[in-house]
Amino acid sequence: MKVIALVSGGKDSVFNMMECVRNGHEIVALANLRPPITDNELDSYMYQSVGSELLDMYAEAMDIPMYRASISGKVLNTNLDYEPSDGDEVEDLFQLLGRIKQEIKLKHGFDAEGVSSGAILSTYQKNRVENICQRLGMTSLAFLWERNQTELLNEMIASGINAILIKVACYGLEPEKHLGKTIKEMKTYLVELEKEFGANVCGEGGEYETFTLDCPLFTKRIVIDHFDVKIHSNDAFAKVGYLVFKKFHLENK
Amino acid sequence: MVNFTIDEIRGLMDKKKNIRNMSVIAHVDHGKSTLTDSLVSKAGIIASAKAGEARFTDTRKDEQERCITIKSTAISLFYEIPAKDFAFIQQEKEEDRHFLINLIDSPGHVDFSSEVTAALRVTDGALVVVDCVSGVCVQTETVLRQAIAERIKPILFMNKMDRALLELQLEQEDMFQTFQRIVENVNVIIATYSTEDGPMGDIQVDPTQGTVGFGAGLHGWAFTLKEFAEMYSSKFKIEVPKLMKRFWGDNFYSAAEKKWSTNQGQGYVRGFCQFVLDPIFKVVQSIMNFRKEEYLKLIEKLNIKIPVEDKEKIEPGGKPLMKAVMKAWLPAGDTLLSMIAVHLPSPVTAQKYRTEMLYEGPHDDEAFIAMKSCDPNGPLMMYISKMVPTSDKGRFFAFGRVFSGTVATGQKARIMGPNYVPGKKEDLCVKAIQRTILMMGRYTEPIENVPCGNICGLVGVDQFLVKTGTITTFENAHNLKVMKFSVSPVVRVAVEAKNPADLPKLVEGLKRLAKSDPMVQCIIEESGEHIVAGAGELHLEICLKDLEEDHACIPIKVSDPVVSYRETVVDESSEMCLSKSPNKHNRLFMKAVPMPDGLPDDIDKNEVNARQDFKIRARYLTEKYEYDVTEARKIWCFGPEGTGPNLFIDCTKGVQYLNEIKDSVVAGFQWATKEGPMAEENVRGVRFNLYDVTLHADAIHRGGGQIIPTARRCLYACMLTASPRFFEPVYLVEIQCPESAVGGIYGVLNRRRGVVIEEAQVAGTPMFVVKAHLPVNESFGFTADLRSNTGGQAFPQCVFDHWQVLNGSPVDANSKTRQVLDDTRKRKGLKEGLPELDQYLDKL
Repeated sequence: MKVIALVSGGKDSVFNMMECVRNGHEIVALANLRPPITDNELDSYMYQSVGSELLDMYAEAMDIPMYRASISGKVLNTNLDYEPSDGDEVEDLFQLLGRIKQEIKLKHGFDAEGVSSGAILSTYQKNRVENICQRLGMTSLAFLWERNQTELLNEMIASGINAILIKVACYGLEPEKHLGKTIKEMKTYLVELEKEFGANVCGEGGEYETFTLDCPLFTKRIVIDHFDVKIHSNDAFAKVGYLVFKKFHLENK
Repeated sequence: MVNFTIDEIRGLMDKKKNIRNMSVIAHVDHGKSTLTDSLVSKAGIIASAKAGEARFTDTRKDEQERCITIKSTAISLFYEIPAKDFAFIQQEKEEDRHFLINLIDSPGHVDFSSEVTAALRVTDGALVVVDCVSGVCVQTETVLRQAIAERIKPILFMNKMDRALLELQLEQEDMFQTFQRIVENVNVIIATYSTEDGPMGDIQVDPTQGTVGFGAGLHGWAFTLKEFAEMYSSKFKIEVPKLMKRFWGDNFYSAAEKKWSTNQGQGYVRGFCQFVLDPIFKVVQSIMNFRKEEYLKLIEKLNIKIPVEDKEKIEPGGKPLMKAVMKAWLPAGDTLLSMIAVHLPSPVTAQKYRTEMLYEGPHDDEAFIAMKSCDPNGPLMMYISKMVPTSDKGRFFAFGRVFSGTVATGQKARIMGPNYVPGKKEDLCVKAIQRTILMMGRYTEPIENVPCGNICGLVGVDQFLVKTGTITTFENAHNLKVMKFSVSPVVRVAVEAKNPADLPKLVEGLKRLAKSDPMVQCIIEESGEHIVAGAGELHLEICLKDLEEDHACIPIKVSDPVVSYRETVVDESSEMCLSKSPNKHNRLFMKAVPMPDGLPDDIDKNEVNARQDFKIRARYLTEKYEYDVTEARKIWCFGPEGTGPNLFIDCTKGVQYLNEIKDSVVAGFQWATKEGPMAEENVRGVRFNLYDVTLHADAIHRGGGQIIPTARRCLYACMLTASPRFFEPVYLVEIQCPESAVGGIYGVLNRRRGVVIEEAQVAGTPMFVVKAHLPVNESFGFTADLRSNTGGQAFPQCVFDHWQVLNGSPVDANSKTRQVLDDTRKRKGLKEGLPELDQYLDKL
């Protein structure tokens, strides 16, 4: 299948791309929605917005075209099931995917049939992706769906994904301490947090977000030269903070 | 003393209807230990090998030096009841007149009342000792109240009659009035905390029933009306029980007319004075005034057999002879043992009504039925009430009562701590009992097994239990209820090792200290300070001494004592408080309101608790506190620790998925009420209402990591917007002194923010009793201050009484509240100042 991959930069979307390739599919385009320039963190229900400044490099790192659009919609429908509604942030994705599909058809003459996404347990997000696929006549490919999160994290680390934490929003994760750490370094601690109060090891409940700097699909790796920690909300017990990347470059592998 | 082999003692243990487990309880200095000594010297069981060594219950050196009991001590007594008294036993009894009495002597000083609580739990009856000169004191009431709450049947002993006779020289009628007043006072307390148709039946004490004794423990004599009724029964040709009634209250006798009357007419004398007090007065006065002819006649007439070794005292007369004669005439041991055997319940009798109160599990499971019927063949159920240090440093005997089954050396049992929940594995160990032992005073003897109804010690259990717990062989057994203490550890000090290298020893020592005392708390603050918290200054002093000398064995430095506070609110939250989860997709809306007066106390007293049927609880809250009934039915939880005096109430209407986040919100609530927003002290008396919730539609985005911190933040915001305040602990102080010292007392109390609530003369004595409320914070050094201002004549007893709101807003930099906040935060190593509201509160 020719596949359009939804990438946020997070480890899950990247790992799902790897799973697509492993299962014999071909990734023909990357798709991403970025936040409007004014605001770095939208607290969106659907999209990871932190780290989007780095994402343009993925096209070069993977040598696959990247299509991006700005999020213009708002969160209108917060029900578990999604009904298309004008102006919702989900419609931005629908339009983006539709546009990519058309362009590929025009350029290469074939149909992109699959959509790769990194959903593991969020029914909310999966339902929305499936809704869009159905409307576009595509197939949703979510190989990570309902996998055991601890196993999954282990596999990601073993498969050579190098991802760092770029946002934390959970009791037990502290911006100053944990941001910028790799998932490999964090693994033991995340498992502990799960035991303590049921945090999701893969951050599926929004506990943390990651950015993938390198993986086997990349021909070049991303190197961060300089970043700032930004505190999003100074919550007394679960401070929310994220990284803003100031200087970075690609490096040949 | 009786010499028994272990086998003989073991034989007695099987006759469960002839066992009496009892504690001796009283106000400090009313003569418990002295009285107990007279019982021990008469009937104490000691293993043959140990016979001859002295002093039993006060086993510690400091106890003997200070003349107070610090730790409760158990001893077994053997008593063969005379046939005439055997007939008086109304409850089920064995065909055998041999009794095994397990007696626990407990401390009277309020600071050690947790020891009393532990003693009461393992016994079924209590001998309440009251000094007839001082009367019913604050601690008498406290221990009696505890006893009744534990369903312990009381009998009364009026002690120190020698003082009334010799020091105060009371007239007979005055003495009767004094006694009657004490009996009334005791019965008022009993009536306040029990009802006649309650599970124990009528437990009021009554001299005419023989449940009240009189005497002098120090001189070794005692009597009940029964002893005197027996003396006169044949003369009057009236049966003993009937005659006992004549010897109390308004029953008067005329010797001239040989008639009884209920009115005190001409020539009529009160029965009690005529037949009980008069002979005693005559004997005492004649001997004390050296009227030799008179007392020789009396000794003969009363048929008093003076033992050979006291014969030489007859000639000189005076106090030594008086003691010898009274002891030979009315031996205290016999009177008391007979009272105990006749009037206190056996385990068989007591467990019938105590089981439902002790057992947390269903009232029809195997364990419950076995306990209720005191069945030695049922599953083992044993409650460990305290840890007793062994000679082996750092190890403890687990001391407790077997309620059903038989505990044996080598037996495999489930050791369940207070946090054990049936079906889960926390706080549970399955281990073999290393050894069962008999504990007799400070001696211990190994014994193969111990059947239900008895008290014993276990070796090897101390590693698995902190202080208390349940031991059972029944897999589905629930816990036996944890003990509720009447005092709280409100006074705390920080300790450190003088030599920093000794820190590990200190830590280990603190662990042992925590084990050895039922009440003391050893805590590590975030600042790294080691805190020891106790009930009062004396309690702390003893604990610290033990820590230094026995547990840690290193020199320690102790900070000035500080008080623990509670955080509360005095208004309703000024706005609807909203907090968003870290992912911003979940919102909680809550408010805090102060609880109505009395409700926190009701929760402390278990009148309102988490285990109640929600409908019954709601009805109670509606009727007594005018809570809305629908809301009162939707109490999610109590906190902190799931039982504390704060409520979380669901006031939402039709919120989807609400139940899914309940556990997380409850966890946040437990946390927030354990460490309040102002200074991380416990929260008290706050009701939190949850009004609305918006949740992410997908369960994965509303897990514990999102909701727990959000709930905590929201609860903090609620409190900070509801005029937060501190509660400070307040003592009830009772001071006895002569009139001349009263002025000095007022001076000292005024300087220490004390408020006098009552001042009265003790009837029939020149003593005054002043009662006052004194903030615990002002109580350090109070005793010494008082003594120096009254020429050493005033003796205070401080017992924790209530929590009092400290006035002043924490926002006001000059208020007392702010000062407490700053001090406490600094001590705990927290960020300075009142936490900012916007850390907790979010905007829509």
